[in-house]
Amino acid sequence: MEPRETEIDRLLRHSLAAPIPSLPRDFDQRLMRQVRRSSQPLDRYRRILLTGYGLISVVTSAVVMRGQGLNWGAIAVMILGPLAVVAAVPWARRATYTTRWRGAK
Amino acid sequence: MESDSQLVARAQSGGQQAFAELVSRYRAPVFRLAVSILGREFIPEAEDVAQEVFLKVHRAIESFRGEAEFSSWIYRITFNQAVNLKARVRFRSPHADETVLYQAVSPGPGPYLQAETAQRDQALAECIQTLPEVYQSALRLYYWLGADVAEVAELIGVPENTAKSYLRRARQLLHGLLKERGYSCD
Repeated sequence: MEPRETEIDRLLRHSLAAPIPSLPRDFDQRLMRQVRRSSQPLDRYRRILLTGYGLISVVTSAVVMRGQGLNWGAIAVMILGPLAVVAAVPWARRATYTTRWRGAK
Repeated sequence: MESDSQLVARAQSGGQQAFAELVSRYRAPVFRLAVSILGREFIPEAEDVAQEVFLKVHRAIESFRGEAEFSSWIYRITFNQAVNLKARVRFRSPHADETVLYQAVSPGPGPYLQAETAQRDQALAECIQTLPEVYQSALRLYYWLGADVAEVAELIGVPENTAKSYLRRARQLLHGLLKERGYSCD
């Protein structure tokens, strides 16, 4: 180490000396409780209900938009566009994280 | 002892015990990395980051293909999560007053010297904050959290020689920054 580095090394060792923190003892338990809660699959009834609601919404939207004079192409874009954006968000976030990680280095 | 890839494979099949084992294995280094990025004034936020990281890992583990090591993957998630949070907490007041933290470790013989040392330590902390994130993290891991160079390299995801040069470069930059502020490092 160069002399000036030795000086700053000593300064850092003194200045940054502090108790090392640790996670609370119950961290694992709290985390696994949350994991178990988020892992519970929707029961069959709720899945059917949500799927039915989604389909009825799409059909109703299509009928209303058709009644307003929109053609089928425009209706398809209006209904499928937001779904495509929602599906693409996880991919975009993964790409952003990878770029940030590489950029930070 | 099962390897990370074996535990990941079991966790991907829905094995919660395997995931719990991964949590147990990585909770400490994930937390240390989060703390090294956020700083000692934001310990509760570092705990939140650690929790959020494991929840993200749990949600995304099925899509983990094993192209990189599991450790590299989780440390990358931790780094990004902590940096994102840091940008948000930057303008909030820290939980503990910084001057109290620095005065607590200043052993100078008299009140004047103690005050001078505390001011220099505060200037040092401010200078550290101006360094690139990886330099800050490397410094805190090495000088505060007691990591050796190999562990610093693993946590921030670079080869050992790169970690050594980060530390060297950080020290050189700090030396210059302190001198600009009129502080001697002697």
